[in-house]
Amino acid sequence: MNDNLIVVLLASAIVYGTPLLYAALGETLTERSGVLNLGLEGMMLMGAVSGFWLVQIFDGPAWLVLTVAVVVAALAGTATALIHAVLVVSLRANQIVSGIAITIFAGVIGLSSYLGTLGRVGGVPTKHHFRPLNLFGLKDTPILGPIFFNHHALVYLSWVFVILCNWYLYRTSLGLRLRSVGDSPETADAAGINVTRYRYVHTLIGGALAGIGGSVFSLAIALNWLDGMTAGAGWIAIALVIFGFWRPSLVMVGAYLFGGLSGLGFTLQTRQVRLPPELFAALPYLVAIVVLTVVSSSWARRRAAAPAALGEPYVRES
Amino acid sequence: MVGTSARPESAPGGPGVSVHGITKRFPGVLAIDHIDFEVRLGEVHALLGENGAGKSTLSNIIAGLYRPDEGVMQVFGREVGFQSPREALDSGIGMVHQHFKLVPALTVAENVVLGHENAGRFFHLRKRDIFSRVAALSREHNLAVDPAARVWQLSVGEQQRVELLKALYRDVRILILDEPTAVLTPREAETLFETIRGMADSGRAIIFISHKLDEVVAVADRITVLRDGRNIATVRARDTDTLSLARMMVGRDIPPASKPLASVVPDDSAVIIELAGIDADGDRGSPALHGISLTVREGEIVGIAGVAGNGQRELAEVIAGLRTPTSGMVSIRGHDLVARTPQEAIAQGVAYVPDDRLGTGLAPNVTVAENLVLKSYSQSPFSSGPFLRHRNVDSHGRDLVERFDIRGSRHDAPVRLLSGGNIQKVLLAREISSKPTALIAGSPTRGLDFGAIQSVRSLLIDIATSGVAILLISEDLDEIFALSDRIGVLHGGRLMGMATTGATTVEEIGLWMAGVSG
Amino acid sequence: MRFERRLDTPRWLFVAVPVGSSIGALLVGAVVLLATGHNPMSTYFRLFERGFFSQSALSSTLRSATPLLFTGLAAAVAFRMRLWNIGAEGQLYMGAVGASGIGLALRGSSASVIIPAMIVAGIALGALWALVPGVLRAFFNTNEIITSLMLNYVARLVLTYLILDSMSPWRDQSPGATFPLGARLPPEASWPQFTTGLNFLAVALLASVIAFRVGAWARRPASDHSSRRPVVIVFTVGAVLVIVWGARALGPTIVVPFGMVLGLISAVLIWVLYWEMRFGFQVRVISDSVAAARYGGMSPKRKIVAVMLLSGGLAGLGGASQVGDFAHLLDPYGLPQSSYGYTGIVVAALACNNPFGAVLAAFLLGGLTNAGFSLRGLDFPLGLIGVLQGLILFFAIGGEVLVRYRLRLSQWRVHGDRGPLGDDPPDQGRSTGTEVTTGRQQ
Repeated sequence: MNDNLIVVLLASAIVYGTPLLYAALGETLTERSGVLNLGLEGMMLMGAVSGFWLVQIFDGPAWLVLTVAVVVAALAGTATALIHAVLVVSLRANQIVSGIAITIFAGVIGLSSYLGTLGRVGGVPTKHHFRPLNLFGLKDTPILGPIFFNHHALVYLSWVFVILCNWYLYRTSLGLRLRSVGDSPETADAAGINVTRYRYVHTLIGGALAGIGGSVFSLAIALNWLDGMTAGAGWIAIALVIFGFWRPSLVMVGAYLFGGLSGLGFTLQTRQVRLPPELFAALPYLVAIVVLTVVSSSWARRRAAAPAALGEPYVRES
Repeated sequence: MVGTSARPESAPGGPGVSVHGITKRFPGVLAIDHIDFEVRLGEVHALLGENGAGKSTLSNIIAGLYRPDEGVMQVFGREVGFQSPREALDSGIGMVHQHFKLVPALTVAENVVLGHENAGRFFHLRKRDIFSRVAALSREHNLAVDPAARVWQLSVGEQQRVELLKALYRDVRILILDEPTAVLTPREAETLFETIRGMADSGRAIIFISHKLDEVVAVADRITVLRDGRNIATVRARDTDTLSLARMMVGRDIPPASKPLASVVPDDSAVIIELAGIDADGDRGSPALHGISLTVREGEIVGIAGVAGNGQRELAEVIAGLRTPTSGMVSIRGHDLVARTPQEAIAQGVAYVPDDRLGTGLAPNVTVAENLVLKSYSQSPFSSGPFLRHRNVDSHGRDLVERFDIRGSRHDAPVRLLSGGNIQKVLLAREISSKPTALIAGSPTRGLDFGAIQSVRSLLIDIATSGVAILLISEDLDEIFALSDRIGVLHGGRLMGMATTGATTVEEIGLWMAGVSG
Repeated sequence: MRFERRLDTPRWLFVAVPVGSSIGALLVGAVVLLATGHNPMSTYFRLFERGFFSQSALSSTLRSATPLLFTGLAAAVAFRMRLWNIGAEGQLYMGAVGASGIGLALRGSSASVIIPAMIVAGIALGALWALVPGVLRAFFNTNEIITSLMLNYVARLVLTYLILDSMSPWRDQSPGATFPLGARLPPEASWPQFTTGLNFLAVALLASVIAFRVGAWARRPASDHSSRRPVVIVFTVGAVLVIVWGARALGPTIVVPFGMVLGLISAVLIWVLYWEMRFGFQVRVISDSVAAARYGGMSPKRKIVAVMLLSGGLAGLGGASQVGDFAHLLDPYGLPQSSYGYTGIVVAALACNNPFGAVLAAFLLGGLTNAGFSLRGLDFPLGLIGVLQGLILFFAIGGEVLVRYRLRLSQWRVHGDRGPLGDDPPDQGRSTGTEVTTGRQQ
């Protein structure tokens, strides 16, 4: 029964959805502060290559190496996000072009590829990788087992992050201030809240989470490094934030939905379903367009909780 | 409550704020010139003056938003020099601005406590605690508002109450209110005055900024008149009247422009604007207009009074073709507007001066000359075929700038560089020079200084005399009464009544504005 | 140190900023190279040598610059209206699909039939691919950044499908074709090339700068020069033509692809459209204030669709040029690797979204890309190209702050006098406008 198509699909949804979830969570926090970060793809790739590189050159017990690798991946994402933060928060540059610049700078023929070549890690299999953990020993429980209890540590960590983000946003004073910064920076400023600092911090956190999401690709899914291996995951993550109405719990649902779509192709192929693989590969992107259109239509927009100041540089008027 | 322990105790009647020799310069303008000013605890002190007199600048200095170039300030008898509004707040001085500083997506309670949440361990937000504290505060000061409501759902009057709660929550002892009644009905203004009195009686000092003479006389204990950045006089309210205040405010006697009542519009003049049974939805999809029917004749000025948010903008947009009504008909000179597009309205001779000047009426970064052809650019002589004739746009721009005395910038500079009065002149220049049949004017004199107000009003009267039908939508009752032949009131999207100006009173209009019909 | 908003921008900045950004980028790039053990001087020298300093280098650079000119124009026309079309990549692929398809289908016809057909097909398919994000944005307010981007991935999958995973007409199915490749187009489908003197290039560049300057001057208020204007224009055009004609035979020869000629013509047409026609005025108003545009009787929805079609068509033409000028088949390997679409964004940003600037920027970036690809190896990793492009872009948009704001090295004054960004005093009803964009209108 645990071999059943639905079960396998759901399990793979979580597997492939996890990197999306990390990046989307990070972007949610960033956008809640009013900053649009389109450089997620680049940050994920930086995280992927950095984490991978570290695993190859660092000696030690697997658990230590992998932990340090994740930290390094997060730092790589943060450093990349710093560029974006300086440009758009301090220099008031156009947030859209800056994000694209980061994607070019750090992306498939950019810094991540450069680092990959430098470290000679292209195409090489990883020394250590995240293996599925048998959580509470429940791996073999009917249906729920393979879906929830047979994943690697980063998946479980992502669940912790979702809970943390939710609590942070809605149950702490810091989260309240964050929401005010993104919705009405003038008001936040007048209330003595440091808009610049909030925007910096949350952009950097977004970068860190994106970096971790990238490392999921290289250290848990594909187990190697290739130029541009995220294949647009960063962009889908940005769309996910909109689908999720900037709420961590909904974002998680969306991430798994798209993870499922990505996994669909592989799974069906192993079941001898004969359709061009490109059709399945295209599915996530096409579905993203459709869902985005539905969500943006006017009835949904009235309920949507987009931070009102998203994308606008904050200029303190007298 | 926040920070009571940080402030020195002061007795009612004791010194609140006093400033001496305060001067403030901005590039090219001396905003405040060696002003002495003082407010005592327990009093309501009005700061009166026309736009540009320096009222806001002075208050911003007191509230810590600006730093003066010269002069000293004392609060509760101690000398202070605020570096930020936060410091002023810590000393007990707070300000409620004309444009509210609220976060629309958050609840009332969250807005009130923002920045002073008194969070628990790990920044934990004690939601229930906050809710009850805010509820208690609103009960205590009679400021009725639901702490759990989201700010975007509130009316403007309710939002103002949230701002007042914010100040009270932070235990503000000296409160500055900047033109608070601009957005209120007469009844709500009355309630506000009571609240203010209550706050003063409990030992606070209130600085009440206004340019409305009768209000100031009604609510204040003392009045300070500013003109051109100087303190002209400080008088006790009971020792003065509106006429002397006006003279002090303006420095001369200007007969206010008003439509001579003798020039009543004959009954048989042509109906220019006619609305029949108009229903329309607002931006959020909920109905904004219900069954509006009205007419405006040739040469007539019909004034629509009412606090903003009751359908005024939607009404103007329906007539100008910017909003499609869900039912009903609009006709101009007998032609029904069926296409419901701006182009159709423009073609029928409808001119619209929106109250959102730089947002809707003008494109801020486009030049003055180009803005002046915003509606007519596709016709000759400004275009031939698909090509734009820059030279003609240019000379047209230059011509209008001269004719309407638009100052402050070149005709080929972005329009946003102009001051408020000149921006309005650009709008009027464009609309009037298009020789319209009908003109809809939304808050045409809001934010202008006295001289500009009079010239705009005279302009409106002139074009009405030349036969244009004018629908004047304004929150300024003085203006409505001065200019209109007939007055109607919009409340909740309904026309509460239509009366001839001579046959009605401010009280009756005020009742209609509050929704009381009959 | 504070920023203070400028009231108006001195013209020299519009040139200084792109130039300054490039220099800044090269400096930072040098640091990166040093840090990773490469010699920056020799690397740059090789870059420039491969990019510009030889006859064959120039011809190769023109090859690289041609698609970049199209995608740069595509990005510029959209960005000018704050329409963020990042789908030029996919639109270019689809243009290539269209052009190669028509070229293969019309096998046997003459060049004068095939080539125009390829041009039309390229434009049409590119425009069609941009139509979806355009319509969705115009009528459903869907974010065009994401939709256009998603379609890039889909377009790439279309390429893969047509050549690698199916027996489509695009695929080379001749006997002996083991490796999946695109079918070769007939010789009539090869676009012509023009061999000219080296000086032609310099002159062409000079001419575009002159044209730009004259154009800007001609747009100034009528009283400054009224009747002289037509004379000056005729004179300038005549002079340019004479110089070009004279230089034609001089100097070493370089090869100018037909696509480049089409690109230059497109740049001029775009300039006319955006500066001399009502279209451009409408775009300017819409990008500034949608409400004011509607108020003035314009139709933002229709404009959005029109601009997206234009943008996609340009990118599609770039794809057609790839097929007709260079590859002569549909290439699912080379096209994605070159990322002409994304680089086009760098071109547009460097050029301040100006069509003539795009010519120059395309040339510069074409040289960089060309050099990068030809130097590729362990010694010069591919990733360096993106790094340098990214750096240029960072400096360009970071430096753009100087266009909007003035840097004041003054003592720290209390916030609020004028705010850290030098705001206007109150009571005057001014709106200072808050957005800083790269759509520097010129």
